[in-house]
Amino acid sequence: MTVAVPAVEASGLVKRFGARTAVDRVDLRVDVGEVYGILGPNGAGKTTFLRMLFGLIRPDAGTLRVFGRTWGEAGPRMLDGVAGFIESPRFYPYLSGRRNLNLLAGLDGGGAGSRIDAVLDVVDLAGRADDKVGGYSFGMRQRLGVAASLLRDPRLLVLDEPANGLDPAGIRDMRALVRRLAAGGLTVLLSSHNMDEVEEICDNVTIMRTGRVVYHGSIDQLRAQAPDPSHRLLTSDDAQALRLGGDHPAVSVSAHPDGGLVLRAQPADADAYILALGQAGVAVRALHLEVAPLESLFFMLTETDPAAGHDVPAQAQPDALTGAAS
Amino acid sequence: MTTPATPATTATATAAAPVPPAAVHPRPVGRGRVATAYRWEVTKLAAQARTRATLAVCLLAPFVFVVLLDRQDRLPKDTLYGRWVHASGFATPLLILGFAAQWVFPLLTSLVAGDIFASEDQHGTWKTILTRSHSRSQIFWAKTLAAATFTTAVLTVLALSCLTAGVLLVGHQPLESLSGTLLPPGRAAGLVLAAWATALPPLLGFTALGIMLSVLTRSSPAGIVGPIILGLLMQLYAFLNGADTIRHLLLVTPFDAWHGLLAAHPYYGPLRDGTFVSVGYLVLCLAVAYTALRRRDITGG
Ligand SMILES: Nc1ncnc2c1ncn2[C@@H]1O[C@H](COP(=O)(O)OP(=O)(O)OP(=O)(O)O)[C@@H](O)[C@H]1O
Ligand SMILES: [Mg+2]
Repeated sequence: MTVAVPAVEASGLVKRFGARTAVDRVDLRVDVGEVYGILGPNGAGKTTFLRMLFGLIRPDAGTLRVFGRTWGEAGPRMLDGVAGFIESPRFYPYLSGRRNLNLLAGLDGGGAGSRIDAVLDVVDLAGRADDKVGGYSFGMRQRLGVAASLLRDPRLLVLDEPANGLDPAGIRDMRALVRRLAAGGLTVLLSSHNMDEVEEICDNVTIMRTGRVVYHGSIDQLRAQAPDPSHRLLTSDDAQALRLGGDHPAVSVSAHPDGGLVLRAQPADADAYILALGQAGVAVRALHLEVAPLESLFFMLTETDPAAGHDVPAQAQPDALTGAAS
Repeated sequence: MTTPATPATTATATAAAPVPPAAVHPRPVGRGRVATAYRWEVTKLAAQARTRATLAVCLLAPFVFVVLLDRQDRLPKDTLYGRWVHASGFATPLLILGFAAQWVFPLLTSLVAGDIFASEDQHGTWKTILTRSHSRSQIFWAKTLAAATFTTAVLTVLALSCLTAGVLLVGHQPLESLSGTLLPPGRAAGLVLAAWATALPPLLGFTALGIMLSVLTRSSPAGIVGPIILGLLMQLYAFLNGADTIRHLLLVTPFDAWHGLLAAHPYYGPLRDGTFVSVGYLVLCLAVAYTALRRRDITGG
């Protein structure tokens, strides 16, 4: 069995801007064929990491390999087979979408020019391709960014918050597009500040906060770590419901600050408790999910005091570097 | 796991035509990449209205100038060859050459040179280019070559247009040399073109100056106006009869080197010195610009 060269392998990567450390000793490994998410709140260092990957800025320490090559060894050839965009993709506003792609294809060489129509179709921009990019909506520019990336016929697609600024339909389409591309065998590395998005399309994830990795592992492992889902519960008799909660050790019931109750439990345990309420003559008036389990884990990981540092449960950091490379 | 062999686009765009795999077309390397980037930059320049307008102005303005001059009784006697513009069509291009050196030349070159780097900052497109397997040095040389191409094109178009306008609208009478002897038309035409050619080295110096300002300030206005202002300041210094050694080091001094060609006994000293000075500016400005671009963190856009 041969071990495939990982698509991206970072170790001990550091980037400082003056006194601020934007990326702090980050280790990360993206295997060929997977969809990998870098998740973090604003300012976590996601974009800074991806800028280093593209050689737009140089790391202060650590190494970064893309398909086994470092910038020092390969120079810009490190980016052969890599495409993507950082923050929002930018084009020449005075040229049409097609002319922009034409120019970029000229830079890429190879058969890029012959792929223009195909990639415009993939992102559903064929109809507007001859309009000036200056007149494109934000979402159209985002899609043109994906088209421009696909033009390079990449093996690794790097997308920095691809759904940022899109409307709900645009977000849905963008996620579907990424899933389709991944299903076609493309390795995808994307950053996001949205847990839902990462859960929906990624296999593995690294969660960052203020430059540090606070979690990395598979989405499945992450789900297993997640706390119980939290619901808001309204009943005909909250006091009685609270008392009954005491009889069910698997659920946690407490008063909600805005009235009603908070119910934290796994679905099966919640079912048992709700049935017990009914049998005791307490009517359930409303029950709705307040915080999805992964989201609450995300907040836990990214909003705890940095001074406390490693208050994250140790098992919440399964080492993805030892993960499956077959 | 192995690398997927299917191009992503074919895998997803089922309706689209089959996409040729990239492996069939080896991508260019090294100097080949400067060439692809140069073609890319020239295509981009050609698509810009400003570039085309500048060339159009260079083509047409001399004709307008000659027509307007023709209707005037007063001659621009202050400028070299001004008094002879009605006597010989060959005086027209030399008059314009003397005049253009003041600020028109710096303006014409910096329109592109002062913008070619800064416009990528303005549009936030550095990251778009640099994420496509091209190094900064490759892009730098491609852009520099493109700016130099534009400078040369502008100078050539303007020179030929001035000569044509003079000959067509005034005539091909013999031209008086700066020593008072008469030059036959054929020789006059050759000398006029040679005189215009001597403007190329300082003009390339101004191109490099524009590039440097464009890279350092990341602002097109600064890159375009900067060389013009510096050119005017140098003119002013030379006009006020500043120290001779300093005057020799000014980038505007070489613009006068053609006077030596039009003497009865031609002298080439100023041309040689002017070329050295121009090359000095060129090397210095490009070195500064290159270093700055290589070191820069691309964080904008
Ligand atoms: N050019 C720069 N100069 C100074 N500080 C910078 C620069 N670029 C980034 N930073 C800092 O680095 C940190 C990480 O920024 P980065 O843009 O990588 O965050 P991010 O995770 O992409 O956030 P967002 O979700 O808002 O895009 C921030 O504190 C930011 O202020
Ligand atoms: Mg970002």
